[in-house]
Amino acid sequence: MSDKVTIRRLATGVPGLDAILGGGLPEFSFNLIVGPPGSGKTTLAHQIMFALATKERPALFFTVLGEPPLKMLRYQQQFSFFDPAKVTESIRFVNLSDEVSTGNFDEVLARVTKEVEAFSPGLVFVDSFRSVMLEATHQPQGTLSLQQFTQQLGIHLSSWQATTFLVGEYRSDSDPHPIFTVADGLLSLDQIVHRNSMVRQMQVLKMRGQATRPGMQTFRISSAGIEVFPTALVRDDTGGTKEPAGSRRTKARVAMGVPGLDDMLGGGLPSGYSMLVAGPSGSGKTILATAFLAEGVRRGEPGVIVAFEQTPSQSRTRTIDDMVRAGQVGLINTRSLDLSIDEIVQNLVSVIHRMKATRVVIDSLSGFELAVAPTFREDFRESLFRMVAVLSGLGVTVVMTSELEDRYTDLRFSPYGSAFLTDAIVVERYIEIESRLKRVLAVVKVRGSAHSNELRQFEITDAGIIIGDPVRDYEGLLSGRATQAPTVNAVKSAKLR
Amino acid sequence: MPTGDGNLLREAIRTTLALRAGRLPDADTTAEATAATWRLVTVQLAPVIGARGLDLLFSRALQQTSAAFPWLAVAVDRGGSASPLPSLMVCLAGQHTSTAAEASYTLLLTFTELLAKLIGESLTTRLLAPVWAPPSLSSGQESAL
Repeated sequence: MSDKVTIRRLATGVPGLDAILGGGLPEFSFNLIVGPPGSGKTTLAHQIMFALATKERPALFFTVLGEPPLKMLRYQQQFSFFDPAKVTESIRFVNLSDEVSTGNFDEVLARVTKEVEAFSPGLVFVDSFRSVMLEATHQPQGTLSLQQFTQQLGIHLSSWQATTFLVGEYRSDSDPHPIFTVADGLLSLDQIVHRNSMVRQMQVLKMRGQATRPGMQTFRISSAGIEVFPTALVRDDTGGTKEPAGSRRTKARVAMGVPGLDDMLGGGLPSGYSMLVAGPSGSGKTILATAFLAEGVRRGEPGVIVAFEQTPSQSRTRTIDDMVRAGQVGLINTRSLDLSIDEIVQNLVSVIHRMKATRVVIDSLSGFELAVAPTFREDFRESLFRMVAVLSGLGVTVVMTSELEDRYTDLRFSPYGSAFLTDAIVVERYIEIESRLKRVLAVVKVRGSAHSNELRQFEITDAGIIIGDPVRDYEGLLSGRATQAPTVNAVKSAKLR
Repeated sequence: MPTGDGNLLREAIRTTLALRAGRLPDADTTAEATAATWRLVTVQLAPVIGARGLDLLFSRALQQTSAAFPWLAVAVDRGGSASPLPSLMVCLAGQHTSTAAEASYTLLLTFTELLAKLIGESLTTRLLAPVWAPPSLSSGQESAL
């Protein structure tokens, strides 16, 4: 038997928050929630309180001058987590404005202590810390200084058998407040505005005794409250992890649903692989991806498509619509321009689990980049890598399309340098032969597998993609200036001359 | 006592005031009943919305009620930050019993409705529940009457 103390972790009731906290909120911890006005501090505090407060674990919520309590109660009720039945039964609001306005912190502390002793709460919130600090300027001499007060409050909050929160605007990287040292947990909320998009972010700067998710995590505030989208974890392949990337890959091959393409891939796309289909506009990328999903449906393998099209009804094929309506394919279609990649990944993973999907299509990476908030575009490639890694860890087979401007001076596959991220690449191009625009495709790469190296002509018909013969008799196709290759007889006669 | 139902709320306010004014009410006991009820409202609400917030809401209700009972304007016009309750009691005590009772009832109803507009009926009901006389007690009193 271990004599060590076991710290219970409380589920916060905020989707995604427990994951970034490292498994929940340590019971009896003293936490700071800091951030600028409008960053969601009070909402976060309320959401946690309404989730955790019970008759056995009542909550005391102290309001200070910052936000008039009537307004706070009015607006917080708009969230679905606000349960009026809990107010007075397991949640008690206490306004400290009268005590704080005197500037006498001894009184404030005495009032807080008195209420805590009378109510024996399991949860205590003080909102907001900033208001207390502003009142410090009116403070009578001979009483507790602000610093003493905040430290005293911190010590009091830590010593009660309660999980406690101090909500405030205070944040300075250069001069951290002493209260930060006392706190067990420090959650920093922020909102970043870039042109017309606004992104909310949260960071767990400190949480004693547990491994938190590092870095900024995006979150959204909707009518249901706050939802955090934790950064997708890329699992390590070098040991120490329970489920290394690609562990669920098998030697099985996945049929693409395009006659002839499986042969070109060396017998189909290896299960669990991610494939990039790159090509210019109209070359048939979406049709190829649709065929991949339709083939899955035919074989009883559900799929998910993530579409980023501005006019889905026009650009998405009817086949996709039919499959989505029949519940055979899950659709994530977003035209929002302020998404974080983590939000999309989380959404995608949840649909994959719900549908028990084994095939995933992302159509297209170009639309994806547009949908992502400008703040995240700098990290797009890195985030894409995380997404591919997460999908790979799930064992699903992925087809991603990528719009590629036709360039005849070089052979490129993706504007994001994402080619190296994927296990297989199919490239589609236009070529000119006898004054006609023709389409060709080629398999560029299938990791760890033999594959065709032919450039094959293909046509798009009502029945889908029809792959034709290799383009013979021409060379320089990829340069855009195809020339008829000399025939064998012509070569022979030339040699004879 | 639920306030979600307007009729139930009206009944609760009337019964509460009648009970607290006693069997043979006059203007003084009506004023006292009003003050006792307001003190309970203060006990319930001041910790939640602050004493100053409560006074402001009370003054607003008083101002609205004075449209129907102009003599209440004296209590409204006090201004400053002091509570308008003592002044209200003086006003009520100077009226006929039935007029004072009606004004007191209207004031409480107006106040409760104002609060409900701000924080919703459900929360108002929960916060003010202890203010109203318990239904069992009020029905017992009514039958005794």
